[in-house]
Amino acid sequence: MISPRTLGNLRREFRSSALAKLGVLIVVVVVGVAVLAPMFAPHDPTTQNLDRSQLPPVGFSTTTNSTSTEMVNGSLEVINETNEINATLTYPLGTDSLGRGMLSRVIYGARTSLLVGLLGTILAAVVGVSVGLVAGYYRGRVDDTLMRSADVMLAFPSLVLAIALVGLWGRAAWRVPDPLVVAGITPEMPASFVLPGTVIVVVGLVNWVWFARVARGEALSVREQSYVKAARSVGASNSFIIRRHILPNSATPILVLGTIQVAAIILLESALSFLGFSGTTLSWGFDIARGRDYLASSWWISTVPGIAIVLSVIGINLLGDWLRDALDPGIGGEGGSGGA
Amino acid sequence: MALGRFVLKRALQGIVVVWGVVTVVFGLRFITPGNPISVIAPLDASPETRQAIARELGLNDPLYVQYLDYLLGLLQGDMGYSYISNTQASAQVFARLPATLELAVVATIVAVVISIPLGVLSATRRNEPADYGATLFSLAGISTPNFWLGIMLVLVFAVQLEIFKTSGRGPGFVSALSMLVTQGSAAGLLSWLSYITLPALALGTYFTALITRLTRSGMLDELGSAYVKAVRAKGLPETLVRYKHALRNTLVPVITVLGLQLGTLIGGAVITEAVFDWPGLGTLVITSITARDWPILQGSLVVIGVGFVLINIAVDTLYAYVNPQVVYE
Amino acid sequence: MLEDRAGSEDAPDGSGADTTTADPILEVRNLSTQFFTAEGQVNAVESVSFDVYDGEIFGIVGESGSGKSVTALSILDLVESPGRVTAGEIWYRNPDLADDMRDSHPEAVEGEYVDTRRVPTGVRRSLRGPTFSMIFQDPMSSFNPSITVGEQLAEAIEVQRRARANPRSTRSRTQGYGLGRFLTDSLLPSRSYVSAESRERATGLLDQVGIPDSAERAAEYPNQFSGGMLQRAMVAQALAGEPDVLIADEPTTALDVTIQAQILDLLADLQDEEDMSVIMITHDLGVIARMCDRVGVMYAGEIAERGSLTDVFDRPVHPYTEGLLESIPDPDDPAPRLQPIEGNVPSLIDSEMGNRCYFADRCPKAMDECVAEKPAEVDTAGSAEHRVRCVLAEREYDPTRALSGTEEDREREASADD
Ligand code: SF4
Repeated sequence: MISPRTLGNLRREFRSSALAKLGVLIVVVVVGVAVLAPMFAPHDPTTQNLDRSQLPPVGFSTTTNSTSTEMVNGSLEVINETNEINATLTYPLGTDSLGRGMLSRVIYGARTSLLVGLLGTILAAVVGVSVGLVAGYYRGRVDDTLMRSADVMLAFPSLVLAIALVGLWGRAAWRVPDPLVVAGITPEMPASFVLPGTVIVVVGLVNWVWFARVARGEALSVREQSYVKAARSVGASNSFIIRRHILPNSATPILVLGTIQVAAIILLESALSFLGFSGTTLSWGFDIARGRDYLASSWWISTVPGIAIVLSVIGINLLGDWLRDALDPGIGGEGGSGGA
Repeated sequence: MALGRFVLKRALQGIVVVWGVVTVVFGLRFITPGNPISVIAPLDASPETRQAIARELGLNDPLYVQYLDYLLGLLQGDMGYSYISNTQASAQVFARLPATLELAVVATIVAVVISIPLGVLSATRRNEPADYGATLFSLAGISTPNFWLGIMLVLVFAVQLEIFKTSGRGPGFVSALSMLVTQGSAAGLLSWLSYITLPALALGTYFTALITRLTRSGMLDELGSAYVKAVRAKGLPETLVRYKHALRNTLVPVITVLGLQLGTLIGGAVITEAVFDWPGLGTLVITSITARDWPILQGSLVVIGVGFVLINIAVDTLYAYVNPQVVYE
Repeated sequence: MLEDRAGSEDAPDGSGADTTTADPILEVRNLSTQFFTAEGQVNAVESVSFDVYDGEIFGIVGESGSGKSVTALSILDLVESPGRVTAGEIWYRNPDLADDMRDSHPEAVEGEYVDTRRVPTGVRRSLRGPTFSMIFQDPMSSFNPSITVGEQLAEAIEVQRRARANPRSTRSRTQGYGLGRFLTDSLLPSRSYVSAESRERATGLLDQVGIPDSAERAAEYPNQFSGGMLQRAMVAQALAGEPDVLIADEPTTALDVTIQAQILDLLADLQDEEDMSVIMITHDLGVIARMCDRVGVMYAGEIAERGSLTDVFDRPVHPYTEGLLESIPDPDDPAPRLQPIEGNVPSLIDSEMGNRCYFADRCPKAMDECVAEKPAEVDTAGSAEHRVRCVLAEREYDPTRALSGTEEDREREASADD
C-alpha cells in the first residue's frame, strides 16, 4: 500500500516545500494540544468566574462602563463605574463574558473539532468507499442506482442538509471520561468531555458522497486492469478482488480526500455549533456565536476561536496539498466542501 | 443541434434528481422524532382536537397517499400551509427566494471577477511577491469559516468604522434599481450596497479563494503544456497565449469543480444569512427547523434542491459550450 | 575564421575564406543554455556554434538528451524556467531589422546581422513567425485541443498580418486583446481576434500541405485529425508567417513509418517552394542523409562534429560520429533508432562534468589527453566548415596512450548503475 517510492515522493516533496513543513507543524501542534488538553489548559474551561469576565488578551486593554453588584460590608451594593480593564497573564487570551479563560476554551475546543473531524471523516469514508467500490465494480444497475442516490445527496447543499438533520434529530451527545483524568495525570480538570454524537453521524452521512465518487472512479479504472481480469479468470471471488486489488489501489486518493475532508468537516462542525445545533458548548463555533453579543465591548471572544479554526484548517489543508502533490492521486479540487 | 440534445438529456436527468430530492424531503418528517400535531395543537388540546388536526392534515392517511398528495400538491405549486402562521407555505418561501438569489449572485460575481484575474496573475508571476500574496490569500480564504469572517467584517467595518449595515437587506436590488431609473436617485443603490457588501464579501471570499487556487494551478498546468510552446512559437502575443489559449482550457476544470462546489455556496448562504439577519431562504430554514414548521421547511428545501439542480444544468451547459468536445462523447 | 566573432573585425558579412558563396542567414555562436534544478545546474546546451545558409537544410543529430531540442528552443527564445539561455549569440541576417536596431541597440548589430539575444524581448518575440518557426515532435499535444485547427492556423496568420499592417509597433499584434476581449469573445463567438482573410488563407495553407477537404477540416478539432494529417496542419501553421528559418524538431518521430516519408517529402517540397532554410532535428541518421545539406552531431550538449554531409558521413573524425554511422547499415533505411554505443549520455549536471571530453567514458579511442582538458572545437580536414571537438582532429590515435583503466572504469560504472 505504501511503497518505498511513495515514501520517497513524500519525503522529497516535504523537503522542497516550506508550506508542507508548516502544515505538518500546525497539525502536530493542534493534535498534541487536543490530546493533551488537560495538561496545556491553565484553567478549567467550564468554570465561571464573573469577577474576571471580559478580560482582554495580553497586550490589549479595554475600558468598560460596567454595572456590577458587590458585597460591601455584608450588604449588596450596585456600583456604576467606568474602569480600565487590563490584561492579566493568568488569562493570556482573555476571558469570555462568564470569566472563563479563552486559552483554555480554545484548547478544549480543539478536541471537539478534531474528534468530529476525524470520526466524521472515518464514518463518511467507510460508507462512501463501500458504496463507491461496489458501484464501480459491479457497474450496471447497481451503479446506476447508487450513483443516482449520490446525485440526490449532492443536490442538497451538505450544510443545509446537516443543519436540517441535526436541528431535527436533536443534539444527542455523550459524556466521555477524559483518559488523562482517569489515569490521574491531571486531576483538577473536568473529568469528562462531550462527544457530539448527532453531529458526527450527520456529518458522516452528508459527506460520504465525495468518497463514493472517488472510490467508484478508482474501481472503474482498476477493474479494467489486466491483473484484475486475470484474477477473475482464475476464479477469485468478487469480494476478494475488491479487497485485495481495488481497495489498496484506491488508498492514495482516499487518503488525500480524507485529509481535505477533515478540514471541511471541522468547518462544518463549527458552523453547526455556531447555529447552536451541535450539542456541546465547548466548541470554537459555539464561542464565536456567544462572542457576537459582545462584539462592541470584547472583540476577542469571537476573534480568538475563529483564529484557532483558521489556523488548524490551514494546517490540514497544507497537509492535504502536500499529500496531493507528492502522491498525485488526480482528484483536483473536488471534495473540499468547506467554507461554511 | 448537438448542444441542444445535450441540454435536454441533462434536463431529464435533473428531473429524476428533483424527484429524489422531493422524496427525501418528504421522508425527512418520518425519520424525525416528534409529532407535527404537537406543533400546531395547544398544549392542553383534547384528544378530539388533536384528531381533528390530524385529519385535516391528512396525517391518518396511509404513507403513500400522503406522499402522492404532497407530490401532486407540489406540481401545482402547493406546499401546504405553515403550521405556525397558517399562511401558504409557497408564498412565504418564494417571498424569501429573491433575497437569497441576490446574495448568491452578487457573491458569485464578486468571486469570479476577483479570482480569475488574480489566479492568472499568480500563475504568470510565479514565485514573485504577487504570487505569494495570492497563494496566501487563497489558502486563508478556503480555510476561513464564512460566519466568522462575517463577524470579523462586522467588527471592523460596522462596529469600528461604522460604514456598512450589519443586519437586514435594505431596499433590495430591484427596487433600488427602479428608484434609480424612475427618480434618478442613486440613494437606493447606495443603501442597497451598504446592506449587501458585507454579506456578499463573507459569502464570496471562500469562492474567490477557491477559484483563485484552481485558476492558478490550472494556468500553470496549461502554460507548461506542449501546445502553449507551439502557440508561442508561431509568434502569438502573450495576452493571446494566456487568455485565448491557456485560460480557456483552464476554465474547463474550474467550471467542473465550481459546479460541484455550488452546494457550498448555497449552504454558505444559509449561514451567512443567519449572521446578517438576511431575510432569505436560509433564515427561513433555520427558523422553521427550530419551530418544526414542516411545510415551510420542506418547501424551502425543495426550492433549494431544485435551484441547485437548475444551476448544475446551467453549469454543465456552460461546460459543454467552453469545451465542445464533451457534446460528442 | 574566429570562433568568437563579437567585437572582432571578422564581421559576419566578411566570410572571405569560406567556400560557400552566400552569407549564412543564421550564425549561432557559443550558445549555452542551462537549467537550474534542485539537483544542480544542468548544462543542457554548452557552447554550441553552427551556421545555417539560405535555402539549405541543416541537420542536428544526436541521442535523446543530447540537447538538440533545447538548442532549437533557445534559438526561438522559448526556454522556460528553470532553464535559461546563459551565453552566446544568435546572429540573424536581416538588413531592415539591422537598420532599425542600429541606433537603439548598436551592440546588437553588425553589418546586416542582428544578434537576436541582445535585442529587446518584444523584438525577439516578434521574430517568431516571420523569422523562425517550429514544428514540434508530437502534433497531438502541440495543438490546443479545444480550438479548431483552422482557427489555430488563422491566428498564426492573423498575428503576422497585424504586424505587417503596423510594422513599427509590437503592440499592434496584441491590440485589443486582453481579458476583457477574451470575455466578449467567449460570450459572443462572432467577435474574434481572427479576420475572415486569415481564415481563408488558413484553408489555403491546409490545401498547400495536402490536406483534402481543407474547408471542412479547418472546422474540426485536433482530436478529429489523424497524426499524419495533424502534422501536416502543423507544417502549414509553421508556414503561416513565411519564416526564413523553419526548425523541425523530430517532425516524424511520433508518426507511422509510411507517413514519416510523406511528411519528409512535404517538408522537402515546401523548402524548395518557399526558399526557406530548415533546421532538421532528429535522432535518425537516415533522415539526415536523405534531407540535409550539412549536419551537426550533438553529444552531451555540445556539437561534437559538424560539416557538410560528405565531411561527416564519409570522413568522420569524432569517434562518436563513427559509432553512430556504424550503427546504421544502410543510411537510406530510416528505421533503426540510435543507441549505438555502449553506455549512456552523461547526466550533464555541471558539478559532475569536469574539464574533460564528455565522451571519454564511452570512447573506444580515449587517451590520456582526452581527460586532461576539454578538447576545443577545431578545424579539420574536409570542407572549410568541417569542425570537430576531439583530440583526434590534430593527432593520430596512439594505443600506447590509451586511457588507463578504461575497461575497469566502465565495468565499475555499469555495476554501480544497476
Ligand atoms: S577527445 Fe578523446 S575521448 Fe573524446 S572523443 Fe576524441 S578521442 Fe574520444
